[in-house]
Amino acid sequence: MQFDAIVVGSGITGGWAAKELTQAGLKVLMIERGREIVHGEYETENKAPWEMPFRGLGDTAHYVREYQVQMKNRHFNEFTQGHFVNDKENPYSTGPDTDFTWFRSYQLGGRSLTWGRQSYRWSDYDFGANKRDGHGTDWPIRYADIAPWYDKVEEFIGVSGSPEGLAQLPDGKFQPGMKLNVVEEHVRKVVADKYGRCLTIGRTANMTVAKPEEGRSECQNRSICARGCSFGAYFSTQSSTLPAARATGNLTVVTDAIVEGVDYDPKTKRVTGVRYVNTKDGTQAAATARLVFLNAGAFNSVHLLLKSRSEAMPTGLANSSGVLGTQIMDHANTLSTIALFPQFNDRTTFGNRPTGAIIARYRNMDAMDGSGHTRGYSFQGGALQSNWGAGKREAGIGAELKDRLHQPGMWRFVLVAFADCVPRDSNRLTLDRTKTDRFGIPQLHVDFAFGKEEQAALAQAKADAAEMMTAAGGTVIMGLDQPGAGGTAIHEMGGARMGNDPKSSVLNKWSQAHDIPNLFVTDGAQMASSACQNPSLTYMALTARACDAAVKMLREGVI
Amino acid sequence: MQQSPQRGWNRREFLSATALVALALGVPAAAVSLTSLESEDAPTDRQRFVMKDVSQLVIPRSATPGGGDVGAGDFAILALAHGLDGSRSLLKDAAAYARFARNDGSIRHVAWLEKELDTRAGGDFLKAPAGQRLAALKALDAEAFASRESESPWKAIKGLILTGYYTSEVGGSQELRYEPVPGRFDPDLPLTPDFRAISNDWTAVDFG
Repeated sequence: MQFDAIVVGSGITGGWAAKELTQAGLKVLMIERGREIVHGEYETENKAPWEMPFRGLGDTAHYVREYQVQMKNRHFNEFTQGHFVNDKENPYSTGPDTDFTWFRSYQLGGRSLTWGRQSYRWSDYDFGANKRDGHGTDWPIRYADIAPWYDKVEEFIGVSGSPEGLAQLPDGKFQPGMKLNVVEEHVRKVVADKYGRCLTIGRTANMTVAKPEEGRSECQNRSICARGCSFGAYFSTQSSTLPAARATGNLTVVTDAIVEGVDYDPKTKRVTGVRYVNTKDGTQAAATARLVFLNAGAFNSVHLLLKSRSEAMPTGLANSSGVLGTQIMDHANTLSTIALFPQFNDRTTFGNRPTGAIIARYRNMDAMDGSGHTRGYSFQGGALQSNWGAGKREAGIGAELKDRLHQPGMWRFVLVAFADCVPRDSNRLTLDRTKTDRFGIPQLHVDFAFGKEEQAALAQAKADAAEMMTAAGGTVIMGLDQPGAGGTAIHEMGGARMGNDPKSSVLNKWSQAHDIPNLFVTDGAQMASSACQNPSLTYMALTARACDAAVKMLREGVI
Repeated sequence: MQQSPQRGWNRREFLSATALVALALGVPAAAVSLTSLESEDAPTDRQRFVMKDVSQLVIPRSATPGGGDVGAGDFAILALAHGLDGSRSLLKDAAAYARFARNDGSIRHVAWLEKELDTRAGGDFLKAPAGQRLAALKALDAEAFASRESESPWKAIKGLILTGYYTSEVGGSQELRYEPVPGRFDPDLPLTPDFRAISNDWTAVDFG
């Protein structure tokens, strides 16, 4: 099969690459390792708990056997389990001192079906972070390079949010933001007045205004997004980029196909295509193209580069620098505080808002005011009321209990800190030397640990969170300052970083391999630093930007 | 369900379409049979009676049916056997419950509860008067929740009885409100006495 471009992966960035390249007139093959999922045919979307064998909680005994990593994801449950990988069938290995939970969704749409939808721009505090404190290597781009691409992506996917005029969290092309609840409004005022910090509604790819021309409705406040949404109210490949790409007539989709390797021609110094195996029957196939985009997800794109080693490139494709696989990151996160606000117990809400609130970064911007760290952290969370689940933790039975659980209960405010993870050479991906998967492909091996910078940031975050909650009249009942396992933010990134210097980076400023001009990696693998914002919006903007550059280079005959 | 390519669903169309699909297909039978449980977890008839009675004591009948009425006991038996809510995790003080241990070291909660209640009733718990049964269970409950460190198997049993009740159709949609498509978010409402909690407030279920 001959195409103009091959896109490996169909998730958040793969969908964007397919859309942009097909709309530019290229014939595109998109290869997805998992099964097809058709928009509007989400199997559990409309099921009530009493229609599920384990009432929505799922069969823990089964999960312990087959989903021992994925079951730790808070979006994983009986309704959504079909949107997560079976860990037993999809193993990876970790180093002796590594605790890394790799949350994965292998299906058409990838993690665009299960993502948290939080969509934030990075600022020059972020793109300039490596240069300023010396961790990692400098980004070859700054905010001005990506800003127009943020505009384009936000307008297309539909991001609701409130403009706040913050330098560290630039405003975007927002639909009207969802509303803060009564307790969040109160806390917003206190943290603004007393600390000059900004609590705002989450900027989320859940639409508050329908896009009827694209068959997408506004959010219905169900907050069951990870089951799939027939309303098309949140951005996923299925709801948004895939129909756009298909409408061009230029897209071919192959599902149930794992790419075994990207082929490289040392004579032309170009990649020529990919080889893949059908996961249903084990048959092998190949396709050729003038352009190859890797969008398999940060770790899987790195995995693919590593296993595409050849005589000409014995340590991995596009790895003349030797840094491929290094400086992987994930946001260090922890539950910084839970505080009770009983003074609001005569108020309540209606509807399941599918986003929380955030407190934007405020440390280490113009003044270096971090204690033992040089980067930022922000909080995500919000105020919520307990319901019947609270009965599980408290004494009481009988009529008194039934009566108590009949109404919403105590208000509590939850703040989870997400801290910038500095890039380190010791946090890296390699091919496992002995372990293989069921297709005989070497497993990905993860070595990862947080360091003193992240520990210091989370310690400061805990203290700050408790102080803000107390100032707002809350009663702090607990807080943590140790990061969870790597991977728990589900923001794993890096491994094929962008940079100016081909000797210390894999990709140039166009997400294009320094070594191979017709190879682009536009998912999380390209990240040179982590910032503390959720990264998917940036991946999408960089993908759209890279597609534009690639098409221009193709037309100019440069590649 | 096919979506019109021309425009998205609105709430009313969506609800009626969902109802039509349910009519056409019939609501799938969701129950998993207790007879599929392995022998060490297969309940005796008496254990099922105990769990039904206890469920009804935890959530009694009022204007709406109680826990025993809706089968919360049977659900809890199934859920405990399958380890929901961490109920097959190993206890720190495993020796205290050694006689109820499975081969994997986890506790057979139902067998423990049956024995514990008989002991507290000074004989056959099921034959004790209603007031005495309730008092015995209240005492057990108070002891179990007296400290955060307590490893009493009752905590998991009670928790899964509550899950069984509030995720049943009666508990979820009659005792509480089930709102599959709220369609809006109201950020600040007075909590009036007639306001029933929403059983599918997922944030509250996860974090509340």
